[in-house]
Amino acid sequence: MNAPTRPLRELPVAAFLVAFGSLVVAGARNIPSGVPTDPLGPRAFPMALGAGIACCGALLAAATALFRGQTVRTGILADADPDDEAAPGPFSPGRLIAAVGVTLGYLAAFEPVGYLITTPLYVIAILLIHGGAARRSLWLAPTLITAALYAVFRFGLLIPVPVGLLERLLPR
Amino acid sequence: MSFLENLLAGFSAAVAGPGIPVMIAGVAWGTIGGAIPGISGAVAMSLALPYTLSLDAATALVMLAGVWAGANYGGSIPAILMRMPGTPGAAAALFDGYELKRQGLAAKALGVSLVCGTIGGLISVVVLMALVVPLGSVVLAFGSPEVFALALFGLTLLAGLTERSFLKGLASGYFGLLLTTVGIDTLTGSLRFTFGRSELLSGLDIVSVMVGLFAVSEMLVQIAHPSRREAVPEGSAYTAFPTLAELRSVWRATAVGTVVGLIVGIMPGAGATASSFVAYNEARRWSKRPDLFGKGSMEGVAAPETANNAVQGGDLVPTLALGIPGSNSAAIMLAALILHGIVPGPFLLSKHTHLVFTLFAGLILVNLLMIPVGLVILRGCLLVLRLDRPVLIAAILAMIVIGTYAADLFLLNPLLALFFGVVGYGMRRCGFSPAAAVLGLVLGFLVESELRRSLLISYGSWTIFVARPISAVLLALTLGAVLYPAVMYLRSRRHTQAAATGLS
Repeated sequence: MNAPTRPLRELPVAAFLVAFGSLVVAGARNIPSGVPTDPLGPRAFPMALGAGIACCGALLAAATALFRGQTVRTGILADADPDDEAAPGPFSPGRLIAAVGVTLGYLAAFEPVGYLITTPLYVIAILLIHGGAARRSLWLAPTLITAALYAVFRFGLLIPVPVGLLERLLPR
Repeated sequence: MSFLENLLAGFSAAVAGPGIPVMIAGVAWGTIGGAIPGISGAVAMSLALPYTLSLDAATALVMLAGVWAGANYGGSIPAILMRMPGTPGAAAALFDGYELKRQGLAAKALGVSLVCGTIGGLISVVVLMALVVPLGSVVLAFGSPEVFALALFGLTLLAGLTERSFLKGLASGYFGLLLTTVGIDTLTGSLRFTFGRSELLSGLDIVSVMVGLFAVSEMLVQIAHPSRREAVPEGSAYTAFPTLAELRSVWRATAVGTVVGLIVGIMPGAGATASSFVAYNEARRWSKRPDLFGKGSMEGVAAPETANNAVQGGDLVPTLALGIPGSNSAAIMLAALILHGIVPGPFLLSKHTHLVFTLFAGLILVNLLMIPVGLVILRGCLLVLRLDRPVLIAAILAMIVIGTYAADLFLLNPLLALFFGVVGYGMRRCGFSPAAAVLGLVLGFLVESELRRSLLISYGSWTIFVARPISAVLLALTLGAVLYPAVMYLRSRRHTQAAATGLS
């Protein structure tokens, strides 16, 4: 396995860690400090974590600046990250933003419009954003996915799903 | 109650009520999920997590154990049939599994994978029971300082071992710990990071955060980085059981796989991927026909698949005995406990003996159920694999939204899942570890409460952690775990420089 080098693009990541850690510390200062029955208090732990994150950022920046171009030891094990194995394709920011935006819209309409109307539209939107789906999937998949999930929740788990605009037609 | 009485009570609790159907559903979902490349065991488990909320704690744990066991086998199906592992742990099985498929022996390879995996899983549960019970008695001597030091050690070790960059792994772990501080502080009633929102008073919903970090982020990776799709073989596939003679021919590889899986599983942070590759190499070393490895050896399938499944029992040793999850999947098991109001930690066995023994019984049963479910579900797995990838992604996203919503009928939960999905995606892009963040999320409450309790006992004196031998040793080990990567890094740098000087 080739050991990767530590590129300069780590510097913004390090700066983000320092800024985020500092924000956490600043935010934690508003939390009350310890009392006799709880010497550490609710403030110290989040403050320590914020400081820890900022320190990690500072050390990362120092390591990047000092050892630029040097090889970095890779972790021994990587059980967790499936994307390590899957060799992802080229980055498409448009698809990412569209998928997040469509999901936000789906959530906004989920209760007022109802599950049965919004879910097929959401599925179609995701299929179009991703692309590459067969034409028949565009009508078959939304119908089957919506019906299957509705059956599981409404009749299997007995959990009410939002009926929204179909309130008069469907039992709650 | 004796061990045997506890185990029998565990069996009757595991099969009571919806036990068996829930186990079958868990194994079936795990097998299908594991067969889908990109849906690792941990992702499949996190997707199942919202559906366990309506179950009691023991049944929920048994269902998740079923998903875990099923995913271990499911990963080998595309590895053998398509030369594409469904889970990272099944990667080693493709060397010989796919060769066997090319020789027209795919059914036999699937059979060996299923039977040997079941054997490995069952033996690992026996070892788990043999180790957890005595270890559980030892940790009864632990007080708050020891529990704090233990949790800190576990978190540091896991953050360090599972990531490319130790600093990023550590920062991810801290981030996970930080997430547990949101809401009302249980000791003083103070508000922390609620930003004036009443919805955050009870803290972040752990299911939504976990589903976001694992599952939503994975879906976003697949949407933003569409990759080439492997062709699924046409026609139907089936599983052929190995004959007794064939099983005898792979016994050595099965034994090696079991031992390796158990040892690697017990080490926190080490997981199925490492164990299956180590088992493959060791099985080749111990084999009478090492020349067949890579050319279609049954032993080459048996060893990694046995190890892959034996890891489950090994992983659960530190999880159940010490409250330190050995892997992401084990962390999800602990999260399920938290959701059911049970605080994981070293006293789990002593305080919730019945629950732990029900899990033992459930683990035996789900491993036994793997064979019939694995036989039946194979066709379903192929159907799912033949589905268009966008359809799968859309179905999983819709399932996540309704699953997290249904937990409390609260729209904030799917919003949180989406938010943490984006955070998890960003973490992956920048080399951070969503898995370490989840470990922090699971251990956070334990770390803070035991730290504060320790200082309460010592009237605010920090010397309590070094004055007590067990906590002092654990803290020294934690320090070692922090310094070790730095020392190794400097050593490797010196070697690189020396080599460069030598070359010039």
